[in-house]
Amino acid sequence: MITLNTCRIITLGMAIAAAGTSLVNAAPLGLPAVPIPADNPQSDAKIALGDRLYHEERFSADGKVSCATCHAEEKAFTDHRAVSKGHNGLLGTRNAPTVINAAYMETQFWDGREPDLEGQSKQPPINPVEGGLPDHVAFVNIFRNDASYVKTFKQVFGVDKKEITIDHFAKAIASFERTIIAGDSPFDHYQFGGDKSAMSEAAVRGLAVYVGQGRCVSCHIIEQNQALFTDNRFHNIGVGFKNIQGRVGEIAKDFLKAKNKGVDVDVTVLSDPDASELGRFAVSEDINKIGAFKTPSLRNIELTPPYMHDGSQKTLADMVNFYNNGGRVNPDDPLSPFLSGGIRPLNLSDQQKKDLVAFLKALTSPSIAAKVTSTKIID
Amino acid sequence: MTITSTYKGIFIAALLLPAQSLLADEFTGADLKRWKQQYMEVVDEGSKLFHGGLGNENTVSCDQCHPNASNTHPETYPKFQQQLGKVAVLSEMINWCIKNPLKADPLPLDSARMTALQAYITEERRNVPLAPGKH
Amino acid sequence: MNRKNHFNRREFLKRGSALIAAGWLPLSLVEVAFGKTQAESFTFAYISDSHLTHIKGNNFVRNWDRGLTRAIAEANLLTPRPDFILYGGDIAQLGTPEEIDHGLDLLGALRGDVHYVMGEHDYYLDLGEHWRKRIGPDHYSFDHKGVHFVVLNSILTHDDWIHKKWDSPMHRMKEMARLDNPQGSPFLVGDPQREWLRKDLEKISKDTPLVVVSHSPLQKIYKGWNFWTDDAEQIQAMLKPFDKVTVLYGHVHQIQYNQIDNISFHSVMATAWPWPYPSTFAQEASYMPKLTVEINRADPFFERDGTGWQFINMHTGDVDVHDALPDNRNRVVAFDEKKGHPVDARYQAEANRIPPMKHF
Repeated sequence: MITLNTCRIITLGMAIAAAGTSLVNAAPLGLPAVPIPADNPQSDAKIALGDRLYHEERFSADGKVSCATCHAEEKAFTDHRAVSKGHNGLLGTRNAPTVINAAYMETQFWDGREPDLEGQSKQPPINPVEGGLPDHVAFVNIFRNDASYVKTFKQVFGVDKKEITIDHFAKAIASFERTIIAGDSPFDHYQFGGDKSAMSEAAVRGLAVYVGQGRCVSCHIIEQNQALFTDNRFHNIGVGFKNIQGRVGEIAKDFLKAKNKGVDVDVTVLSDPDASELGRFAVSEDINKIGAFKTPSLRNIELTPPYMHDGSQKTLADMVNFYNNGGRVNPDDPLSPFLSGGIRPLNLSDQQKKDLVAFLKALTSPSIAAKVTSTKIID
Repeated sequence: MTITSTYKGIFIAALLLPAQSLLADEFTGADLKRWKQQYMEVVDEGSKLFHGGLGNENTVSCDQCHPNASNTHPETYPKFQQQLGKVAVLSEMINWCIKNPLKADPLPLDSARMTALQAYITEERRNVPLAPGKH
Repeated sequence: MNRKNHFNRREFLKRGSALIAAGWLPLSLVEVAFGKTQAESFTFAYISDSHLTHIKGNNFVRNWDRGLTRAIAEANLLTPRPDFILYGGDIAQLGTPEEIDHGLDLLGALRGDVHYVMGEHDYYLDLGEHWRKRIGPDHYSFDHKGVHFVVLNSILTHDDWIHKKWDSPMHRMKEMARLDNPQGSPFLVGDPQREWLRKDLEKISKDTPLVVVSHSPLQKIYKGWNFWTDDAEQIQAMLKPFDKVTVLYGHVHQIQYNQIDNISFHSVMATAWPWPYPSTFAQEASYMPKLTVEINRADPFFERDGTGWQFINMHTGDVDVHDALPDNRNRVVAFDEKKGHPVDARYQAEANRIPPMKHF
């Protein structure tokens, strides 16, 4: 229904940071103020601790994997791989979403299985194909024996060594991630800044396709005074369907059985390629959400290839083609019966497709682009 | 000379006529009836377009989802339309429906057909209070 | 905090969302056994109102095809399998052989036996001839696990309308296909079929649970859109002597439920498109059952929003209707023993409703 996305399953105690403080940058052009949970206020010291933890390689079994491994600043806070590579070279099943503007998301991960950045940050270190640490106890113990961290935790949270828990890590990392915010793109200047010369003519035409024949705007939302480019909902757009075609019922049933017996959803969806394709269903157990994944933001998309939850689309042109074919790579590929009602062939001309790509490239924030060294996909 | 005196005669006669037939801001019952009938002509044309008269190839018609134009809620426009990414007027949403479920080319916003569709939709919702911006 | 405890806490958080779906277990790992005796409990699926529309050649309106295809794919996931499937009518938009045959082709993918109901969109081109040729009789009864099912053709109408001087059979079809048509004609079960029903029910003991299936509602809601059957009261009177009666119907493309004396009424959703509630037409009064909590206005972008199909749980003669609603939250409307009528499992209380659940 129209208002479903406004109905929150878990209500966060939201508090908007006061404008003009040094803790949160003022909202950049095109974005609202960053929502800050009431139980995790920003502070400079906490953000600095989060920054340090974000780059901490002891978050992993082989001592080589940090948050920044898969969400690297010089790669626009992602890893330019189809699916992420964890400790000892282990591969997961999903494409690393960028951290940029993740603070605005109402749920985290492609299937929304965590409600906030705090919850999200706790999972990768102990996922067997990511950090690979046995559990949070082992994880916390590593840092309880590091005098420098113990001192900082005391300063930030006022806790003694023995009182440090995984939640302190989560809060610090989340606070840091709430500073990775980027708007101020050519599109923002064109749309909200009153500068009609900020986008190229091709991008202006592309915007018309985006809100018109391309129907992109229905999920990747633009509003009158801001653009999050997401509806925070979950949609089956056909990605990955080919891999589980004809086996959906069996995979769903096996997954539910295993979940009822207590297997960890986080572990299963990242290690079992079939279960991964169940998408939001794995979390909600709702038949309507089979193969449905969260709408990602499109900001800085030029800098974050490859695309889709499985990294299956290498370029923006590939991705546009996928939508133009109504949720499939080739026009004669099978269609998922579970496809979202909004997905259908778009009949875009080659010129319209090019214009759409030009528009997507106008969503790049200069502050992010300045730090990105390459956008080459790593095989 | 004859002409001048005739004009004078008309002028004098006009002064003696009832005022309502002369002044621009007053009109007769017959005027009201005529104008209403003019409007209803366009409403009827809109009804035909609404009930399959747009000639779109896939044959889907407006009334299939909106019997008696219900759930078109013209009184709520302008309002924010997520499908359009902005606050839009009714005619823009009509064009969205023409482009999408009906798979046809949009109508020019000032075209006679767009006016007729809006006339029919609004007529079916007559006497409902305005509620702009409402969802 | 060890891994296990942490997992449980997180699971608790996640169940917050899962709980919303908990009344609805399409891929049920739970035995469906609400009944006093196991034998009396069973499930069936109900798909209706697909309105498949032929354009030309092999070309059909994509949106309606997708609706039926999705319902079939979802119904095929039900575990354990439903005992059978009911198809509630209006498989076609204009009753052509192309449309009816196309519908039966798609429905061929359904796992299980299907019982069909005649809709007005299937009927008024050739007065049901092709439908009956492909499918069989348009009114019949059958018994299943102690429940007597009766299927009626409720979309007949007065003879003088049927046999007006139409330009063509298609002209008649199109007049009846238009829901808001002031030149339309009210639906009717009619004398011959009511006589057949009287005889059919004679053999049935009064304590046998009865399920009567029709396309139009066997109650009067709004005549202007034919949410109406002219001889509804006469049918209701024939059902009155039975202890437990449920009437299931399609046609209205929206959730409705009601209780009239001993009869529970449930509509089923369309797979094609949703219809507004009659109250949204401001110029005429309608009689929407007060019990019904109306479904929200659909978002036209998500073509499946406000459409769906049903999974029906039958236990000791009562019916729980589970609506599977793509792009919308699922609904469960179950018979409440204490209240003696169907109740929506989540939205009965005003405070639980999703804004703007006033059906604006």
